[in-house]
Amino acid sequence: MKFSVFQLSRIGGRTMNEDRMGYCYTRASGLFVLADGMGGHPEGEVAAQLALDTISGLYQRQAQPVISNPSEFLASAALAAHHRIIRHAAQKGMLDAPRTTLVAAVVQDAQATWVHCGDSRLYVVRNGQLLLRTQDHSLVEQARQTSRAPEAADRNILFTCLGSSAKPTLETAGPLALRQGDKLMLCSDGLWGNLTEAEIVHQLGARNVSVAVPALVESALLAGGEQGDNVTVLAMEWETPDVSTSIRFGPVDGAVDGGFASTLEAAVLDTQMDDLDDAMIERSIAEINAAIRRSAANKA
Amino acid sequence: MTFHQARWKIYMPKVKPSPLPPDTMIGGYRIERKLSAGGFGVVYLAVDNEGQQFAIKEYLPSSLATRAAGELFPQVLPEKLSLYRLGLKSFFEEGRSLAQISHGSVVSVLNFFRENETVYMVMNYLEGGTLQDFIITARDLKNPKVFRESTIRSLFDEILRGLRIVHQHKMLHLDIKPANIFITEDNRAVMIDFGAAREVLSKEGNFIRPMYTPGFAAPEMYRRDSSMGPWTDIYAIGACIYASMQGYPPNDAPQRLEKDRLSLALSRQRGVYSDNLIEVVQWCMSLDALSRPQSVFALQKELSRESTRLYTKLTVGERVRLQFDGAMSDTKKTAPKPISPTSRFK
Repeated sequence: MKFSVFQLSRIGGRTMNEDRMGYCYTRASGLFVLADGMGGHPEGEVAAQLALDTISGLYQRQAQPVISNPSEFLASAALAAHHRIIRHAAQKGMLDAPRTTLVAAVVQDAQATWVHCGDSRLYVVRNGQLLLRTQDHSLVEQARQTSRAPEAADRNILFTCLGSSAKPTLETAGPLALRQGDKLMLCSDGLWGNLTEAEIVHQLGARNVSVAVPALVESALLAGGEQGDNVTVLAMEWETPDVSTSIRFGPVDGAVDGGFASTLEAAVLDTQMDDLDDAMIERSIAEINAAIRRSAANKA
Repeated sequence: MTFHQARWKIYMPKVKPSPLPPDTMIGGYRIERKLSAGGFGVVYLAVDNEGQQFAIKEYLPSSLATRAAGELFPQVLPEKLSLYRLGLKSFFEEGRSLAQISHGSVVSVLNFFRENETVYMVMNYLEGGTLQDFIITARDLKNPKVFRESTIRSLFDEILRGLRIVHQHKMLHLDIKPANIFITEDNRAVMIDFGAAREVLSKEGNFIRPMYTPGFAAPEMYRRDSSMGPWTDIYAIGACIYASMQGYPPNDAPQRLEKDRLSLALSRQRGVYSDNLIEVVQWCMSLDALSRPQSVFALQKELSRESTRLYTKLTVGERVRLQFDGAMSDTKKTAPKPISPTSRFK
């Protein structure tokens, strides 16, 4: 199995990054997860993190070295994540449970299988063309499908997510046979909400994921402006259709022998670091200079 | 005599980003020349418009960013972006730590600014050399003593005063070593490079494994889960005193955990340095964190005790063991040969 992968999350104009992402893999299987914690409810970032932890934990237990039934695995892991979020809320005595969207994919045996809930999307681009994307569980997408005129406010209204009192809609799809050069991209609405589909497909199709992902995120941040949403993208490129033992990673080097390599921990770190945007840098510098003046005044 | 170079060396990637050339203006300061470069970035000597000299540290981690000669802006590799930001955060941490402290034994930060898409920390410019430079020079003189005991006591008393203030601010230095202790031309000891310093209570500390220098890093710095505290810096102080006596760094903690030769190595110094000083080093460098002085104050008290110094000669048996150890030791070629203890005794 050979693929390259790249992930990036930026806070945008928000005070918090509630998006979480990560991937882990064995020598014959890979898991890619992205969750977008929902605003309007408490602790969105906690819900997103719990979803990642739960799914990657189950994956690491069950991938030996492949998942026996990826579609079933993804549905049950997502449901387990939903239950864990509800348990978390109950344990903390929260009146309202935290909520998150989810999109997760398993790639093994040269096939991709995925699940999604809410409006975080999976795109598959082949030969520079959009092969498919997930349909959001949102009112606007529903309206589009029933040709009802969508209302502007509908975009942000989801009819399902993890953590809500109703059982979540977990839409699984695949397996899709992968071809060399196919690109799979998981992203939050901060990306697709700010860019046209044509732009996304073009950028992703034209270049290596390690170049395309930062470029896409940058364009989305720019389009999102000062109040822009968090933008999170995790993309992989399938390099060889055959099953072999070699794995090459874009940002992460080193193969694994029988064990697991994971960026899920690092992904938390990524999103935390992205809190350090321009405004934050300016604030840090101002704080330091204020402390310098205080110390000088004390000395004098 | 060659020196254990490898033990002092720090990681240095092959292609270093180019420093800014002399006469470049940054934040109202004019660069005169590069003073030093490390993994974190570059330190320049610069002057303000009144001609006053400063040391300016530029954040430019050489493993994460590149800069072509003649360019101003560093280029960060896209896949290294999150690490670059992480480093930036700890650069701020260093600035924040130093800004709060105003003490003669701690390097002072005077200004902090952003330019050329990176950040700069302005510090007072110190003239002199690092303790490491002094140790190497003194050792090469091949005197039985690297430093006089009174020099060691007063030097470390000064450093401990500064370290006490650092700890009072709930910070740890975590990278105390002779290369980070500066001795100025007016004979002050100043702790520099707080790059590894983190607030003790800061949660972020869990993410980043602090950098450590073999020989000076306490065993708990190698373990991710264990708690670090003032005793961690105290271990490093003990190791610095050791280096000031022996002329070379002690074995690193993992080596010591396997086979601890510290007492043996220190017994070579018996008769040269007082029993009390040797005991202080041994106390500071206890492998068990709880057996070390738990605060700088406790150590200061012991170090400043001006009682009659007791020097105990080695017994014949100990001398034989020492020579045997010297013959077996892999450091034989590089370590200063133990001179017959009787001839060292004065």
